[in-house]
Amino acid sequence: MMVTATEICVLTAALLACLIVGSLHLKVNLWLYALSTLFIALATAAAALEHSETGLIVIAILIALLKSIAIPKFFSWAIDKLHVYRDLGAIIAPPLAMHAAILLFALSFILTKEIPSPAGPGYGWFGAAGGISLVFTGLLLMLTRRLAISQIFGFLVIENGIYVFALTQTKGMPLMVEMGILLDVLVGVMVSGLLLFKIQKSFEHIDVGQLTQLKEP
Amino acid sequence: MTALLHWLTFLLSIIFIPVLTLGTIRKTKARLQNRIGPPICQPIYDLVKLARKGETISSTMSGLFRLSSLFVFADILVLAWLTPWLCFKPWAPHSNIFMVVYLFAFARMFTLLGSLDSGSAFGAFSASREATLSLLVEPAVLLALVALGIFFGSSDLRVIFSHTTNQTFIGSAIWIAAGLAIFFSSLVELSRMPVDDPTTHLELTMIHEAMILEASGRNLALIEFAHALKMSIFFGLASQCFLRAFPQFSTFNVYSQSGLNIVGILGLALFVGLLESLIVKLQWRKVPEFIAYILSLSLIASLAAIGAGVIK
Amino acid sequence: MNFFISVTAIPLATVILSLTKLKVEQLRLVVPVMSWLQLGVLTFLCLPALQSNHSFLTLSADFSIEKIGACFLLLTNFIAAASITHATCFFANEKLVGRGEDPQHEKLYYAACALFVTAMSFVFLSDNLGLLWVSIEATTLFSAALVYFSRDKHSLEATWKYLIICSVGIAFALLGIILIFASSQHGAIAGGSLSLRLLVNHANELQPKLLQFGYIFCLLGFGTKAGVFPLHTWLPDAHSEAPAPASALLSGALLNCALFAICRVTEIIQVSGHSFFATFLPITWGALTALAASFFLIHQIGIKRLWAYSSIENVGIMLVAIGLGSPPLFFFQALNHSLAKVALFLLSGNIIQSAGTKDLKHIRGILQVSPSWGITFAAAAAAVTGMPPFGSFVAEWMILSLCDDFVQRIAAGVLLFALALSFIAVSLHVGRILWGKPKHQTAVLPTFSSTLIPLLLCIFSLLAGITCLPTFFLDQP
Repeated sequence: MMVTATEICVLTAALLACLIVGSLHLKVNLWLYALSTLFIALATAAAALEHSETGLIVIAILIALLKSIAIPKFFSWAIDKLHVYRDLGAIIAPPLAMHAAILLFALSFILTKEIPSPAGPGYGWFGAAGGISLVFTGLLLMLTRRLAISQIFGFLVIENGIYVFALTQTKGMPLMVEMGILLDVLVGVMVSGLLLFKIQKSFEHIDVGQLTQLKEP
Repeated sequence: MTALLHWLTFLLSIIFIPVLTLGTIRKTKARLQNRIGPPICQPIYDLVKLARKGETISSTMSGLFRLSSLFVFADILVLAWLTPWLCFKPWAPHSNIFMVVYLFAFARMFTLLGSLDSGSAFGAFSASREATLSLLVEPAVLLALVALGIFFGSSDLRVIFSHTTNQTFIGSAIWIAAGLAIFFSSLVELSRMPVDDPTTHLELTMIHEAMILEASGRNLALIEFAHALKMSIFFGLASQCFLRAFPQFSTFNVYSQSGLNIVGILGLALFVGLLESLIVKLQWRKVPEFIAYILSLSLIASLAAIGAGVIK
Repeated sequence: MNFFISVTAIPLATVILSLTKLKVEQLRLVVPVMSWLQLGVLTFLCLPALQSNHSFLTLSADFSIEKIGACFLLLTNFIAAASITHATCFFANEKLVGRGEDPQHEKLYYAACALFVTAMSFVFLSDNLGLLWVSIEATTLFSAALVYFSRDKHSLEATWKYLIICSVGIAFALLGIILIFASSQHGAIAGGSLSLRLLVNHANELQPKLLQFGYIFCLLGFGTKAGVFPLHTWLPDAHSEAPAPASALLSGALLNCALFAICRVTEIIQVSGHSFFATFLPITWGALTALAASFFLIHQIGIKRLWAYSSIENVGIMLVAIGLGSPPLFFFQALNHSLAKVALFLLSGNIIQSAGTKDLKHIRGILQVSPSWGITFAAAAAAVTGMPPFGSFVAEWMILSLCDDFVQRIAAGVLLFALALSFIAVSLHVGRILWGKPKHQTAVLPTFSSTLIPLLLCIFSLLAGITCLPTFFLDQP
């Protein structure tokens, strides 16, 4: 079976994202996220070459610049200012969560086998599997971490997965919608980042496990 | 005639490749530390020197200590004969994955027994550490080899490592993943960086060195040689995994394959020398996380192998 | 392009005015006027669309408006205008009670409100699924500013939960939209399309598996935004921490937006004939939501949380209406719910201001403090729980009577039980608040300005029930 460059890049990005779950060190998470997003930008460029769509090259460059460089830099600065370098702990141990992420990666292949893909190079089963596995990994990240900033990372990984899914399952999403996704991620990140500082100032920590005051008895 | 030539080459390889591997590691580290360092064949001189020395044995030891080193040496020799770490023509009739892994465990058991027999605190301490780490890392090695076995449809290492089918992309990926897993778990099994610095002699951090602390003379020579041979076997398997990831490798003839394999072993030794000079030893409580990363590599390899089988 | 200017001109002017050096007292006069003006402009814009069932007005490439959308648009802006007008009195009274906020916060409130309402208007105007999604995401971001108004620990926690849960939900909705787009590419639409009109017209030719998966994800995602049962955890916190006029907007308008998005997507799949997804999923899930919410209503502590859970219950009822394939009924229920809920939240704001606490245990004797408040409160509570002769009774009756087959009948039974349970719970709580002696030092607030809007809303709700408004909407061909 022919595996195209797009699919190789997408699967590498999905595997790198699985590794994010295995480490509680926030800067390591950021590096892995940046690397994973870089591979997604490469996949976009490969798809642009395979289908000769020039719009995708612009998006590839935008993803590389904004999501792979600017956002990790912003969060790196935020981590330094917050003086929080390690996540506090997860509900399940990070190595176990990483193995669960890899098993979910395999599961996503099984789940996406029946999804019909468009015909052509670069569209196919592996791309959909990579996208869905990124979504699973992001969800795992959000559910097993206690710091607010790790939840934002999980959200970013989910958005990556949805973008990859759109790239490999549709013959060209309208440019406007992809810009909308990028803008949404950017604004969401900025707002969340600002809120992080407020939370740190108010609560003296960013542990969402302790944000439980508003609850029914 | 060719059979005799093969046996001779095999004997020479068993003697010289472990020596060269150890020597390469030491030379690389020396060079990176701005020293000239010992010659690459220095381990041979060390072994000969050790063999000529007398032994000092503690009075609390039983005969088990000397017996264990003999057993370890013999076991590793059998493994060198069984596993296809060199690319020569197959020798042994079968070499089951599980048998190979269990033989390694057998050697390890006798090392542990020997170190416990010495009755010192260092021996017991390092024996417990070694036992813990090998418990954690054995699944990684096993799963990597099993992944290869599933993909090639056989549990015989000779068959797996002589495979000449056309490689698909998944096949190359599995080879690379398995190779990485075997290489990094060999770092753990042999107690090299980042798990344990072999040149440290701080009591609280030694793993392998403390187990052989009480050995001297001929015993030490046997143990050191067995250790170097074990390293060569692991590196040989890992380098073959990396080399076989390229489809063109199976088209070469035996001699080029072996030559490339030996170059691979020495290259891995160089890399280990680099690693030991450049990275820091992990804290003890971080080592299981490192092993977990190795296990994920093996997991990926085995899941890909199962998937490839399902697709076909 | 004309319509774009007409929809955004006045809100943009509000935003600019709020961020200039105008004093808050002057803003309090200007902003409500502008919001009522906006309502007038939009009515004028939508007049052609309201005339018949199938009238359809294409405003621009990706924007169009048809009858139900026009009704929702006008309802939303009406609610917004009412809420903003009451908000000016609310903030003026804050000073009286002694809890004067930073005027800068209030100006930001007006600006965020204007942007929020514009984003909601675009939800109803967009014909393109992608633009619909962007608008809903924009509403999340702008309403987060509203929830964060008081900037203390509780509101921070509520805003965080709101942002995270709704963003993840909306991301799943995006996945659903992508799947629907992919299903259209496999169908007869060359190159695929996100246009709702095209999708509904070609619904039979869409790839079924992709469409079904897409629908599930859209239901999950927009359902998170609407507050369906397991994903509702953000709703009580956000609605109770926002200031009362903002809670009114969130409950009365934002939930309608999310449900409207679900309605649009359900329309596609209903036309394409996958009855399991089109009817079974929304109906059962709606019934489950209503049941869960009614259980939560029994033991509540805060007054605004009480109304938040009542909103969740009504979301369940509206989801059932959507599943039954009747957008006009959905609108009618939304209309009644919005009118009554906004009245309730505005009055609750007054009550909290005068009693100084949100705790249901400590609020007593509202009828003694201010009879007009008490009577309006009781009327609004009756309206929300579905007592005749208010409109919600008629709406819920019609929804229940539309249930035909076995599963729908079971759902109807569950809904009835939930409605009964919630009626009992709400009456108990309301009764405890209204009667008795006032416990704490309650401040006396100007009656006319604080009661006008809620009273008007209650009257409208009553009129909706009495004057057989449904016939206007249910003129089926």
